[in-house]
Amino acid sequence: MALLEVQDLHTFYGSIEALRGLSFTVEEGEIVALLGSNGAGKTTTLRSISGLERPRSGAIRFLGRDISHMPAHRIVQLGLGHVPEGRRIFVNLSVEENLMLGGYLLRRTPREVQARRDEVFERLPRLLERRHQLAGTLSGGEQQMLAIGRALITRPRLLALDEPSMGLAPILVQSIFQIIAQIRKGGTAILLVEQNARQALRLADRGYVLETGSIVLADTAKALAENRRVQAAYLGGEPEVAL
Amino acid sequence: MVATRLGPAQSLITRYGPFVVLLLALAFPLGVNAYWVTVGIGILTFAMLGLGLNLVVGYAGLLDLGYAAFYAIGAYTTALLTTVFHMSFWATLPFAVIFSALAGVIVGYPTLRLRSDYLAIVTLGFGEIVRITATNLGFTGGPNGIYGIPSPSLFGFQFFSQNSQYYLALAFVLFVLFFTRQLAHSRLGRAWLSLREDESASEAVGVPSVRVKLWAYVFGAIFGGLAGAFFAARLTAISPDSFTYTQSINILMVVVLGGMASFPGVLLGAAVVIGLPEMLRFMQIWRLFVFAIGLIVLMLLRPQGIWPAASRKENPFGPGQAGKLGPPLPLDALRREETGGEGAALRVTGLRRRFGGVTAVDDVGFEVRRGEICSIIGPNGAGKTTVFNCITGVTRTDAGDVQLDGRGLNRRQPHQVVAAGLSRTFQGIRLFKNMSVYENVLVGMYPHQRASVLDSLIHTGRQRREERESLLRCQAWLRFCGLEEQAGHRASELSYGDQRRLEIARALAAQPKVLLLDEPAAGMNPSEKQSLMGLVRRIRDLGVTVVLIDHDMNLVMGVSDHVVVLDRGRKIADGTPQEIQADERVVDAYLGRDEQTDEEVGAWPS
Amino acid sequence: MSVFVQYLVNGLTIGSFYALVALGYTMIYGIIRLINFAHGDLFMVGAFAGWFVVGIAAGMHLPVAVQLLLALLIAMLAVGLLAMGIERVAYQPLLKASRLSILITALGVSLALENGAMIAFGAGFDTFPPNILPLSGFQFLGAQVGDVQLAMFVLSVVLMVGLYLFVQYTPVGTAMRALSFDQDAARLMGINVEGVVLITFLLGGSLAAASGVMMGLYYTQINFMMGFLMGLRAFTAAVLGGIGNIPGAMVGGLLIGVLQSLAAGYISSQWQDVIVFAVLILVLVFKPTGIFGERVVERM
Repeated sequence: MALLEVQDLHTFYGSIEALRGLSFTVEEGEIVALLGSNGAGKTTTLRSISGLERPRSGAIRFLGRDISHMPAHRIVQLGLGHVPEGRRIFVNLSVEENLMLGGYLLRRTPREVQARRDEVFERLPRLLERRHQLAGTLSGGEQQMLAIGRALITRPRLLALDEPSMGLAPILVQSIFQIIAQIRKGGTAILLVEQNARQALRLADRGYVLETGSIVLADTAKALAENRRVQAAYLGGEPEVAL
Repeated sequence: MVATRLGPAQSLITRYGPFVVLLLALAFPLGVNAYWVTVGIGILTFAMLGLGLNLVVGYAGLLDLGYAAFYAIGAYTTALLTTVFHMSFWATLPFAVIFSALAGVIVGYPTLRLRSDYLAIVTLGFGEIVRITATNLGFTGGPNGIYGIPSPSLFGFQFFSQNSQYYLALAFVLFVLFFTRQLAHSRLGRAWLSLREDESASEAVGVPSVRVKLWAYVFGAIFGGLAGAFFAARLTAISPDSFTYTQSINILMVVVLGGMASFPGVLLGAAVVIGLPEMLRFMQIWRLFVFAIGLIVLMLLRPQGIWPAASRKENPFGPGQAGKLGPPLPLDALRREETGGEGAALRVTGLRRRFGGVTAVDDVGFEVRRGEICSIIGPNGAGKTTVFNCITGVTRTDAGDVQLDGRGLNRRQPHQVVAAGLSRTFQGIRLFKNMSVYENVLVGMYPHQRASVLDSLIHTGRQRREERESLLRCQAWLRFCGLEEQAGHRASELSYGDQRRLEIARALAAQPKVLLLDEPAAGMNPSEKQSLMGLVRRIRDLGVTVVLIDHDMNLVMGVSDHVVVLDRGRKIADGTPQEIQADERVVDAYLGRDEQTDEEVGAWPS
Repeated sequence: MSVFVQYLVNGLTIGSFYALVALGYTMIYGIIRLINFAHGDLFMVGAFAGWFVVGIAAGMHLPVAVQLLLALLIAMLAVGLLAMGIERVAYQPLLKASRLSILITALGVSLALENGAMIAFGAGFDTFPPNILPLSGFQFLGAQVGDVQLAMFVLSVVLMVGLYLFVQYTPVGTAMRALSFDQDAARLMGINVEGVVLITFLLGGSLAAASGVMMGLYYTQINFMMGFLMGLRAFTAAVLGGIGNIPGAMVGGLLIGVLQSLAAGYISSQWQDVIVFAVLILVLVFKPTGIFGERVVERM
């Protein structure tokens, strides 16, 4: 049984059909990349999975349970973390408060939360230096690290990452991808939406290519990296390799 | 939900409904006792107030919690002028109107820039100030108010009896109804609605929001003052108790309960808010409690109000309307007169913008030549949209200079940028969702329309001519963008691709020199994208310079004369499509450098 | 000088009552962007609940201190639960509808509470038992300060500080601040947003009830319409301090109380509300976010 199994997912924004029957799976411990151009439906897919959007039809099974109608906070509780597009850290709270909120579900065992917070600080010493600053004053890379660290405090079984390298300098992109590699090593499966397709595919086991709300290509990361259609999906234009 | 087509029953209601209601209103005093006639007058008074407040709340979307202040100012003006200066009721009306309008300006002008919730409390405070002042001053009669106001008379006829006063009230309602409807169906009314729907989008298509809001306020005040003048003369005595905060809330309920921006809704709302508690009198002390519960239940069941405004309109260019408007404009009418002049259409130099700790745009500069299609490309987060926002005055710039046709645009507000000849679309579509397709385009024409506020109020010949010309141009733009068939639809009903095209049509309606398109192709399939690029070329062929943001490189390459590449807030390339395609840095920026990830990493969480 | 101090003392006492109610306005606005027009009426219900409990407790010949404590606690609990019930039934279904429709619903709730109280307790004034509170006091800088005044002020401050600590240092309080900024991100932290909103109403309602009980005891008379003026002034206080800002509401409430007391003392009690509103309008025109308000990020 797959860790996450999405079947024929349809999600609408008003009268606009953003997802048109999406199906894919993520297995325990693997990294799966979702690729595609802007507006292809990648972010909507993640938001539907984590309960921020209500899909109109289709099934989303996580650990064997249908979560398509579960409220978002219950899905997090089941072990599905989501680092949303644009990081969405709480800029009005301090770095430390952001991390403590990451441990909100463990609030009855504050000592455990502190231990895990310290673990984040150990991994990401930049955050330790700035623990009392308002999160809004962090640089883009630090904000992204905070967003990832915050999502890891609950130790999710699956982590959905939406464009973690967006707008970051190459050196920071490097560190973010290192962190992703660490997370996988820790046994967390990752569903990765990423602009930086080459690097995403280097790290991923498998990948899917989305176009206007449907999956047009599914393969191993290695095969996708060599597929010209992937380039087409990013750079645009007609695919040079037919399906 | 809105019916997909105006059914025969519905069109019967729209055609004959008003006459039936008018007949019923005329016959009402004949069929009931004096008590109910008094209730009827109350309903009509609140209908006037509701119609006035509807402009402020229903149309412009400004929450006003002190509307009774204008009602009070009108009432006291008439009361004082008739009792102290022995003026006739009719002669006091202009003063009532002027004083309440002035009050509207005095409250509105300094406060309309505030966020709407603060505006709400300012209006509330103003309402209380007016009431307490009237209670405490000597010449307003203090808490007892003013007595002995003469009843209105006309050609020797005294409006003394209940029935005559009822008909006078009805005449006032019809008068207010007529003029508020005139305003609603004008340039100003459309601008109000657009502000209610999306204030920043409205600014971005050229509506000067503060001035337009102020007019909503002033007209609201005028009609409130008029209702007050009537009220004073009818009762022949007024006291501050009639102008409490509770009264303001009742008027607000009339509007929201009936249905915002809906004329039948407001009339119905007045009947419910004033009539229903009267009908519940048999419940004695339970009356208002039951009314309150009813109000809650009604809002839960119908949050849009009892009779919401129809957002789907009859297509003004449909087959049924043929001949009314005249022949459609030829495509050539849309062509831009070449403004001549050498130099760049748009020149950006040294643009810089930081958000918190993140530099979104860092020293970006480029030039767009007249009549070309220029694309700004780059991966997500490269700062493309921020560049657009800086150029159009939506966000402040930290440094840099923007010139349109050699004239500086720095520090201009978004609506001034549009008036200067630079229009835009948004990455996330920002239409006026609850307005019809053609109304969206008409709002886009705001900066070039000349109808004054007075023209809008009385629909002068000049105004009607301009409206007809605007409709014809609107038709031409919709046809140009392939949307003529859907002109009467509600904007939010359109398909995704059509919404994108409507946004373009709305931006074009401002007759821009330069059009900025922010990811117009996002979320489109390849064939939709191709047709969109065809549209972009046709726009250029009309003489409009186009600046385009997109990700889709091959598509951009096909259509652009000139490409600027941004990455992480900096410009990394600038040249012809051929030059850009050959540029290694660009491909790297898109697909990412394939750098070695350090495999020797520890597991986390451990 | 001593007169000035006297006005100040009286103003701070009343102001602390305003501040407790203003906190509810500001918290609820901060979290769901609703001006809860029914909030002043919760204060009124609190006053009646306290009055009712004192009546029963006095009949049981309990010591006065126990009577007062019971009145305070039961009123706070009852009104807190009432506020939660109102949110669940009347507001929650409308959170995604237009903001004006939920506002009208709040007005409906306000009207229902007022008329419900009128039906239950009559339209006239009800009075707390006379001399239930000691009249003792002391001189301070030439002003007469009642022991009761001081006790009430201290109790208000304790409640406010308690709230502040809760919001600042507990996970649920942090969640409140987080979701007032970004609801979706809060959900992704596993925060039950609807639940936290309910807790906010519970807190706001019980603070209003505490204020109601104290104000009722202070003036001894209560009436079903007493929530109206209180609501107006407390809302003003919340905006003056910067709506959505908790310390702002506290300071705003005290300021309004002092301003009112000074205006009534030096000018005329008839004009006190005019002066309060005039100051509010001036503050908003020149500092549109209130005294403590931060610039709200407009999301594009």
